Amino acid sequence: MKMADLIDGNPYLLLMLQHFSIDFRVSDHTVLQLCNQYGISEQLFISIANLYNGSGIRGERPFTRKDMLQVIDFLKSSHDYYRFDKYPQISDYIRQLQENHPEKELKLLEKFFNEYFSEVREHLAYEDEVAFPYFITLLGNGEQDNRREIYSSKEYSDHHTDIELKLKDLKNLLLKYIKIDNDLDLRRKLFMSLYELEFDLYIHSLIEETILIPSGIDIEREQG
Amino acid sequence: MIKSGRLHIAILESSKIICEGIQTVLYQSDMDCRVHRLDALDDLTELLDNQPIDILIANPVQFVNREKEIQKIRRRYPSMAIAGIDFGMMHKPSTLIDITFTLYDSTEHIVQLLQKLDQKSQSQPNEKGGEENLTKREIEVLTGLVNGMLNKEIADALNISIHTVVRHRKNISMKTGIRSQSGLTIYAISKKIISIEDIDI
Repeated sequence: MKMADLIDGNPYLLLMLQHFSIDFRVSDHTVLQLCNQYGISEQLFISIANLYNGSGIRGERPFTRKDMLQVIDFLKSSHDYYRFDKYPQISDYIRQLQENHPEKELKLLEKFFNEYFSEVREHLAYEDEVAFPYFITLLGNGEQDNRREIYSSKEYSDHHTDIELKLKDLKNLLLKYIKIDNDLDLRRKLFMSLYELEFDLYIHSLIEETILIPSGIDIEREQG
Repeated sequence: MIKSGRLHIAILESSKIICEGIQTVLYQSDMDCRVHRLDALDDLTELLDNQPIDILIANPVQFVNREKEIQKIRRRYPSMAIAGIDFGMMHKPSTLIDITFTLYDSTEHIVQLLQKLDQKSQSQPNEKGGEENLTKREIEVLTGLVNGMLNKEIADALNISIHTVVRHRKNISMKTGIRSQSGLTIYAISKKIISIEDIDI
């Protein structure tokens, strides 16, 4: 299968390429060629592409340690996308909206968003600084000293539910309750950004919950 | 055509056999409905606190000597229609009941009557103040919540159990689609349930 055709079918795959640090000029390369060129296992690539295309993981574990390190890089890259691209973009739209409309609800909405954004940043930092290094240590060797409890997938998903929950609130407030006159261009852009973010966050937690954590637990068990 | 959503029908009848029978008729019809079974009038008040009811099917015996209460309920929940089961004892049309049917009517007839009743109740201004049909109790809980009160404080203020407060909160989130407290604050302001002056920005 040619990568260019896959992108035609689902442009969100561009986001995936970016998270894998693969350039968008994919020429006429097939998926396999591209994977070889970038040193990514085809199985891992296809597993994640399937998530983006809406089908689940077919239990094709185990992934190798090298795969897992790449998954972590992938997740880190998506953190940067949230931190430096998507959230600031949404923040800009909301600020503009607030400037265009004197309604006090929008001021509150901006406050709501800013608080939400800082919670998200905190969570991302936690993953970058605590969770991922832990996984990397786990993957690197069998050292058992100072072994931290692997934080459970529950702790993980609790965090995520929170992040996705407030995003839903934001969407519902704008779709159902806050009255804003006109400004459809700006509001549509804001909505599209919110939906894009929601989609990538969803894939992000799927990757953590169906690939990263199960594999981490496998490795832990292996090391006893 | 987009359907307007599921009908909530309460049956107030102490006979299990009759209750069961009506429920079966409803569930086997093409009405999209959810049936709530009640033994006594007091159960109705409690149910209405949590769940808006579109149609109440009642044995009129339950209303005897409690007309005042029924009138109060009708005023408070104007969108709820009441269908009475006619046991052959009702000689004059009651103002407390919108329609009646007997247990010997064909199932088609009963379902048709109820569907008409629903259409009628929908043509009336249905939403109480437009609050996604939040009940009065839910609005009280929401107000406490956005004013930063704890569950315990809300429970004490409203004289209900913490458990009930939690249940109200769940229902509020379900109905509005808003889960976080700060989101609910914005909701409450948009709906003018609280005034913006009450909140420090």
